[in-house]
This record gives sequence, structure tokens and C-alpha cells, in this order.
Amino acid sequence: MLRTLLLASAGTLLTTSAALADCAFENELPLSSLSAGFEAWYAVTDAMAECGNFEAELDQEFRTKQPTGFAADPSLYHIGGVANGTLVPLLNDGTIRPLNDLVEQYGQQLTPNQLITIDGDIMAIAMMVNSQHLMYRQDIFDELGLEVPTTYDEMLQTAAAIQEAGVVDYPIGGTFRTGWNLAMEFINMYLGHGGQLFNPDKTPSINNEAGVAALERMRALTEYMDPEYLGSDSTYVQQQFQQGDIAMAVLWASRAGAMDDPAESQVVELVTMAAAPSAVDGAPPASTVWWDGIVIAENISDEEAAAAFQVAMEGMDAEMVQANNDAAIWLIDGYEPNRLSEGAIANLMGGTPPYPASTEMGLMHTALGDNLSDFLIGAESAEQALADAEEAYLTAARESGLVQ
Amino acid sequence: MSQPQAEALRQPLSLRLTSGVFLVIWMLIAAFPLFWITVMSFKLPVDSFAANPLSVIFGPDTRAEVGGLSPLDIVLGIVGIYFAIRFARHLAALARMVSIAGQSWLGWIVAVLIYTIAVLVFFVGIVPAVSAGLRDALGGGFLLDPILGATLTHYYSVWVENTFYHQFVNSLIVTAGVVLVSLTVGTLAAYAIARTGSSIAFWLLIAALIFRALPHSVLVAGYLPPFVNSREILMPLWESGAVGWFFQLFGDEPPTLYGRHWAVIIVLVSINQPFTIWMLRSFFMSIPAELDEAARVDGCSHFQAFRRVIIPVMWPGVITTGLFSFLLAYNDYLVTSLLLDAQSQTMVPAISGYFNRETTTTDQVEAVAAAVSIIAPLFILIMVFQRQIVSGLTAGAVKG
Amino acid sequence: MRRSTFFAFVAPSVVLMLVFMAAPLVSVLIQSFYLTQNVFEEVTVESCTPGFPNPVCTEEIQSRRVLDEDGIPVTETSFVGWETYRVLLQPEAVAEAFSVGGGGVAALLDIDFYKAARFTITFTLITLPFVIGVGLLIALAVNNAIRSLRGPVIFISLLPFIITPVIGALSIRWLFVGDGILTAALEGILNEDIAVFAHGWAFEILMMFYRVWHVAPFAFVIFYAGLQTVNQDTLESAIVDGASRFERLRYVIIPHLMPLIVFVALIHLMDAYRAFDEVIGFRSEAHRITLQWLTFNFLTPDDSGNRAISRASAASMLTMLGIVILLIPPLWRTWRDHRGR
Repeated sequence: MLRTLLLASAGTLLTTSAALADCAFENELPLSSLSAGFEAWYAVTDAMAECGNFEAELDQEFRTKQPTGFAADPSLYHIGGVANGTLVPLLNDGTIRPLNDLVEQYGQQLTPNQLITIDGDIMAIAMMVNSQHLMYRQDIFDELGLEVPTTYDEMLQTAAAIQEAGVVDYPIGGTFRTGWNLAMEFINMYLGHGGQLFNPDKTPSINNEAGVAALERMRALTEYMDPEYLGSDSTYVQQQFQQGDIAMAVLWASRAGAMDDPAESQVVELVTMAAAPSAVDGAPPASTVWWDGIVIAENISDEEAAAAFQVAMEGMDAEMVQANNDAAIWLIDGYEPNRLSEGAIANLMGGTPPYPASTEMGLMHTALGDNLSDFLIGAESAEQALADAEEAYLTAARESGLVQ
Repeated sequence: MSQPQAEALRQPLSLRLTSGVFLVIWMLIAAFPLFWITVMSFKLPVDSFAANPLSVIFGPDTRAEVGGLSPLDIVLGIVGIYFAIRFARHLAALARMVSIAGQSWLGWIVAVLIYTIAVLVFFVGIVPAVSAGLRDALGGGFLLDPILGATLTHYYSVWVENTFYHQFVNSLIVTAGVVLVSLTVGTLAAYAIARTGSSIAFWLLIAALIFRALPHSVLVAGYLPPFVNSREILMPLWESGAVGWFFQLFGDEPPTLYGRHWAVIIVLVSINQPFTIWMLRSFFMSIPAELDEAARVDGCSHFQAFRRVIIPVMWPGVITTGLFSFLLAYNDYLVTSLLLDAQSQTMVPAISGYFNRETTTTDQVEAVAAAVSIIAPLFILIMVFQRQIVSGLTAGAVKG
Repeated sequence: MRRSTFFAFVAPSVVLMLVFMAAPLVSVLIQSFYLTQNVFEEVTVESCTPGFPNPVCTEEIQSRRVLDEDGIPVTETSFVGWETYRVLLQPEAVAEAFSVGGGGVAALLDIDFYKAARFTITFTLITLPFVIGVGLLIALAVNNAIRSLRGPVIFISLLPFIITPVIGALSIRWLFVGDGILTAALEGILNEDIAVFAHGWAFEILMMFYRVWHVAPFAFVIFYAGLQTVNQDTLESAIVDGASRFERLRYVIIPHLMPLIVFVALIHLMDAYRAFDEVIGFRSEAHRITLQWLTFNFLTPDDSGNRAISRASAASMLTMLGIVILLIPPLWRTWRDHRGR
């Protein structure tokens, strides 16, 4: 049922012929791109490079470089790889161009889901979605007769049972690394508790019951984690899974493929995906939906923009998806969902909200990332940590002119 | 030396023992982390990150999957390393032998190339071929069966698949540029400061010292916007009637500094200038001023005196200072990662790309292999220049 | 040397330092007194993002930056005086912490700037004697070793200094992180589960250990070079006077090395004070931060693309102030020497 739905939404894969081995568009202008450097971007930029005259820069520091690079005139890059969050600075600076005309001319194959529209203008073309969802060790759950947890309370009980059985070092893994990751976990949990991040006047409103409950829940989870959780990012959790150190984790969908990689994983085909647990009974999964896609720079000539767009379309075509099916949850024609995408699809079907990207959200995310660890290491009360985060947000918001 | 003095200098056994034991412990601490990452880089991911140190060293998984080193390989390897190290000492002689048209620096480049190729051919070509041939001929045996799991796949993917040699060349360009410019500029300044008694020199030194203390992140953040927008910023210079023709000699349009090697070289030279000046100044102070005064009496200008008298005797200090400049440029992370783009990237920021991208475990071992590749040239450098460092420092580059 | 000749010789170097160090420094000083703000407008926007099966479109009020007719965002820069410094130093919070019923030192160290300053200064001052002590010990021990062994020993001793700092820090981190082999070994010995990177103090010790490991070889090679030039006559006359081994070390060798010790101390003070690689390499930002990391963190664009330029400038000026204070004693000595000449 889920698969047919996704297939239907993604369109039919038979329409694109696999005979187009190389790039259908012969590119003559020198073009360049700057994007993040994970597997899906490698696949896409490699496919773009087949069109010739194209240099890709894949850099995890792209968030730092992108706004400056695109603000230069002429822009240092033609194509940018962005996600919901990283689109905001570019939109704010007005350094990316609306794509309506280009989509009309060269983008008929795009599905409505791929068009990121802001106030009627298409500003970005999405290629994949990503979301944090539950991954668990099927073999351990079967052996101990455990149910798949659907709420965080159940997850904690399950973790207690696994710890008692002593089959793994730590029952739970988590991307709790101080900074962006930790803030992300809090936002998932806080939204899951039904919290509102801002008052209407853009002042913060996180120091409340939902905020404290979210933090307490996070601390309860850390009891079952590797005590070095404040340094543990997605790669670390992925390694813990691969080496059989943990039994479950809420982890990014883009990491699912690595569990079945025989070259590095000792748990091939043992990890199953499911929706992220809810924070409270009956609520949607406590997670957010992200998308990744491309934008085209404003400060370049129209010819370059047209060429860049066509190259990008070649990079995001069905062939590329067929060759890299497991690299991401693609939004592109030709994607075939499988065992590994079940968690992400369950998240989406469960009504997981999109990440609420906005200017103030960006400030809040940074403020949370810098201040919450003090509570987890026991240096501060939950209220104090949340108050510190609010204070840091306000300082930054005043400085940027968002709040007077 | 007279009898009682020799006796007083002779050390009691306990002291010699303590000092020996201390040295051994220190060397273990100094070398172990590096030894360990080198071992890790030759294993498949499952072995590299294993919790049991023995499986990291012996690599059972790697041995089962791709084979490894037999006792014979190990013996050949040790012999090879021994000769490689011994030969590195004589690189200078080789350089003199192959120096073309009396240009010693060309000779050095050729010598280092020959040396590197010879070492690579021996370890990657001859040793595996010999042992595989013997294994085929004799059908195995204790000495010929692999006992140590090892693989070169990560090096292969780093250097061949991910074309790390681009970054290597970039690193060479940046490093060579920094060393040359920094020494040229620094030698002149340091000589002048060492030979003048004026207060300006003193305050220059103090200013340099304070500049050296500056946190680099502050400087680099100051550079980034002008570097990216340099074309826009410099445009008026190119378009103005008066001086425009001069700037247009360099190119039709002003350059974008971001991603240019020479721009990064200048930044690194400036950052390194204070240290260079301090080191070289104290070295020049140890060269008797009478030397160049004599030349001045003979009618030389200051610059001529510098060229004829000082340059020939300054090499020990310059080589030592140059090594420090080399280390700064080669090891720099902050400046190069912010001011260079993918095409002009040097090696050190490039490996952080392996860690920072949403990595798989294989990426991490590749990063380790890349890290080992980066520090390998430093090993050779120190092996070759070790004596010059000590003698250069002894000769007076550090008189405070 | 004539003044004009002198200037001709130092000009290239001085120009480089003026353009690439003094100019950024002055601009940082100016920026710390100004604040550049964006101008926002509130607009109701309908935006669509992927959803299943159809895109999710929502209408909401968003803050958007105002763009001028060229499409460049409008900004307002205003002079704010010491305001940014106040935000950073939070004098009210400090006063509150030390008033009756305040949180005392703990509350003070909750403020990022003081937290960073506390660690940076401890880090600098604690590693200093270790670097000099360990460097001196290695130099004496090597000088004591058999001549034929000295080459290889010097080579191995120099390794921690020459290798790339980021790689060095990572190589030590790998030994301890998770079930790294040294952690596993410790667990084996103590027979309990240990997580090294779960404790602030463990970070602190390891970061200091790394710094000493990295810099002691530099101190060593400088001191070793100095030992080669110890005046043998003085040493011999000390022996004739019946000075013991320790007395010779104390009264002949150390005074001879004193300028070098000052030199190493100076370099180390400056480098340790701007410690940064350790925080990145050990990922210690949850537990321990340094002043340069704080500046770097302000400069890193947040998730809305803003760099906190004013706060970064103010933080770096305060950092500068700190290093100038730390450098006063050795500079004073240099000044005295200069006057003496």
C-alpha cells in the first residue's frame, strides 16, 4: 500500500528510457556547484559532470561558504545544493533566482513534490527527502520478544529490557553531539510534545512545561546510551550500529543504506526501519521532514543559468536514481522504495511535520545547540538551560535586527 | 681533560639507567599514536576500528578477505626500511651528483623524486612480486603464508580514485611559495633589524611579537569577504584612467583572490613573518658585524655587503627558519580551508572533508590513509634535514 | 645603517604585516564598537514543501529581509559603544553571581566568555612548566645518550612536533574514543566500564597532554641546540670548584639556557593561549572551550546565515588584551635587555 502510493506520487519509471547512457545536454559554459558532501550529492554531481565543463565542490562546510560565495558578483558558484535550513540564508540575501521560466522550459519531468515554492515562485528543486526515524536490531527484538516501540515511553521500557538481557553494550544510540545535532534532537522532541518555539512577536517561548518535559525525556534516553553521547554524531551512531554495539536509535534515513553494506557492517540485513516514536500517545512521530535540492545563483548571466539548470536536471534524472537507488529517499521519477525506506515512508505517512525553517528558527537552532548540554551533564537545571538558550537566541535576534 | 674532571663527568650507572629509561618511555609516547594510525590505515574498516588491539595489528578480517604480509614480506620490508633510512642520509650526495648545470635545487628535486620512486617501487612492486612468485612456486609454507592482514585499498582509493595527487601538488605549490617568499622578505628585514641600533627596530620587533599572538580566526574572518569580492572591490583601480593601464598589464579584469594559491601564499607569509624575523634576527646577531663592516669599508653598499658577505654564511640559520615556515604552510588548516576552493585545496583541509562529510566507516579509514600520506613527506623531510636543524639552531638562530 | 637603507630592507615585510595583520586588526577594533543589523519586514507567504502524496503548502507570516532595488539586502549600521562588550561580559550577571544568594564562581563560569577564559588560562599556565620541564629532560637525556643513538632518538622525538596538529589531535583521540584501544586497556586493568569523553576533566587532561606532547619536542630541540654551546671552560672550573652534578645543572647549564627558556616560554604562551585545534580535534565544545574557539564560533554563520561579527570582534579584542597582559613579563625582560645594550 505504502509503496504503491509512493510510486504513484513519484510517477512511473518506465517513461524514461534507460538508453540515455550519457548526458543529453552538451554543456559548453564552465559551471560549478557547491553542496554538502554525502552519498546522494556524490551521485548527483557525478551525473552532472557527464555533461562536461562542470566542477563540483562537495564540502560539509558548505553552510559557511555558500552565502558568501553566492553573494559575490559574479557568483562563485552557479548551482548550490541546499536543504530546508540552508535555503533560508540564500533567500534572505536574495542571491538565488526564481526558477519558474526554467522549469517551464526544461523541467517538464519534475513532479509537483520537487518544486519548492515560496509565494508562487519556484526557488529550489528538491531531489530527496530525509527524516530521522527508528532503526532497530530485528534479531535482538525477535530473540527477546519485544514489540517495536511507538512512543518514547515504550522505547525506554524496551531499552530497559534489552539492558537487562545484556545483549549489547548500550541499548540506545543517539545523535546528541553538542551543537546542531543536539538542538535537532530537542526540536524533534519539543515539537513532538506539542510545543511552540516562538511567540507571535518572535520572542522565544521554549522555557515551559513542554520544554522541560522534552529535556527530561532526552536525559532519560541518555541513561541507556554510550556515556560519550555529547560527541556522537550520525557517523558515530552508524558505526555503533554496524559494530553491533547498540540495539536501536533514531537516525537519519540517509544512513539506512550503510547498515547493509557488507564491507563495513557486521549487522547486514539485521536492522529494520520504522517510524520515529511519538513523544506523547497519539501524536505524530517526534521528528521532522527535510528535503535536499538545488538552487541557481542570481548573480550569473541568463545563459549560464539556463545551462546550469539543464545540467542540474541531467544530474537529477531517472538513470542516476536507478544507479543509486539506496543512496537516498529520492523524489525523482524512477525511485524504487525498498526495505530500507520503510522508516522514512512511515514517518511521512504518520504526519511528521516539515522542519520549520525560517530566519528565527536558524537563530534558535544555533542557540539551542550551544546551551542544552549543560543540563545533560548535570551542570544546570532544565529551566536554567532553557533560559540560557532563550537568552542566547534573544542576543542573536537583537543583533541581527529581528527583535527590537 | 684531566683525570678528576673526566671522573666527575662520568656518570653513575643509576643516572645513565634513569635517563635511558626516560628516553625509551618518551619515545614510546612520542611515536605510538603515529604508529597506530599507520597500522590502522592498512586494514579493512572492521579491523581498523576493532576494540581488541591484537585484531587491529594482525587484522584477521583483512587477512581473510584480501590477504596480507607473510613473514618473508616482513623481513624484506624491515631490510628495505633500514636501507631506505640509511640512504635518506645520503640524499645530499645524490643531489650533488645529479645536480643539473650547477643548480643544486634542481638536483634536490631530482634526487627526492628518484628516492621516492625507488622506495615506492621496492615496497609496492618488488616485495609483493617476489613473495607472490615464491608462494606460487613453493605452494605456501609457514614463511610464505600471510600472518599480518594488510591492504593498500585505502591508499589506492585516496590517491587514484579520489585523485589526492591534485591536493598534493597544491600543497607543494603553496608550501614552496611560502618558504621562498617568507625567507626572502624575512631575511632582508631581519638583517636590517639586527644591524641597526635604532628604537624603531625594537618597536618593530615588539609589534611583530604582538602580531604573532593574534588569534588567526580573527584575521581569516577579516580576509574572507574582500577575497571573495575582490573583483568588485578592485574594479575602480582597473577602470580609472590614471593607473588603469598599469593594472591592466596583469589581466583584463581584476582577479578573484578566493581560491588563488598566490593569495593564500601571501597571507601565510604575512602570518609567518613575525616568527621568521625573530628567528633570523637572532641568527644574524651571531654573525659578527665586523664582517659586513669590512665589506662596507671596501666600498660596498649595504645591499652589496649583504649579498657578498652575509648570504654565503647565512644558510644554516635560513635552512632552520625555512623548515619552520615549511611546517607552518604545509600543516595549515584554518587559512587554507577558508580561502581555497575545491580545485586549489591543499591536503590538510582536504582530509577534513573525509571526516566532515556524512561519512561511512570506509571513508574514515580512507581519511586515516590520507592522514598517513600527509605525514609521510614530513618524515622524510626530518630524516634529511635533522642535522641541519640542530646545527642551525646551535649556530645561533635561538639566542633569545 | 642609514634610516633610508633600513626602511628599504624592512619595507616588504612591514607592508605585508601592515596589510594582512594590522589592517584586519584595526577593522576588528572598529567593528567591535559598531553593530550592523538587517532590516526585516513581515510578509504572509505561501510556501510548498514535499509531502506525501502531495506537496504540503502552508501560509504563514515570515520575517524577510528587505532588499533594495538592486536586490541587495538593506542593512543599518549604528555605533553602539561598549554595548557589545557588555553583552559578552555580562557585568550584571557577574555582580549578581557574587552578591548575597548568588551562584558564586559556578554561576560566573556559566557565562561563555568566562568559561572560555578560565579554561584557556589554566590550559596555558599548566602546560607551560610541563613543556619546558619535559623538553629540558629530553634534551638532557639525549645529550647523555650514546652518540651513535642520538640521530634516531632525535628523529623520533621530533615527530610529535612536525606532524600536522589536526592529525596529531585526532590520532590521540582515536586511542581513547568509544572503545578505543587505550580505553579498552584501562577497562581491562580496572575491570569497569570507562567512557573517557564523558567527563570534562578527562577532556581537560587529554587536551593538555596533547599540547605537551606536541610542543615539548620543540622545546627539546631548542634546548638541545643550546646544550651544544655550553661553555666547557665554565663547566670545568665548576668541576674544579667541586660542584656536584645538580649544582652544575642549576648554576651553569640553566643560566646558560635561560634566554632559550624565555624564548620557548614566549612562543608557548602565545600558541597555547590561542588554542583551537584541540577543541576541534577532541570535539570538546560541550565540556571545554577556548577563547579562540569562542571567536570562531561567533564567526561561523548560524543557521540563518548571520555571523555575529560584533561579538566576534569584541571577543577577539578581549583575547588580545589577555595575551598582552600575559606577555608583559617576558616583554619587560626584552625591554630591559634592549635598554642595556
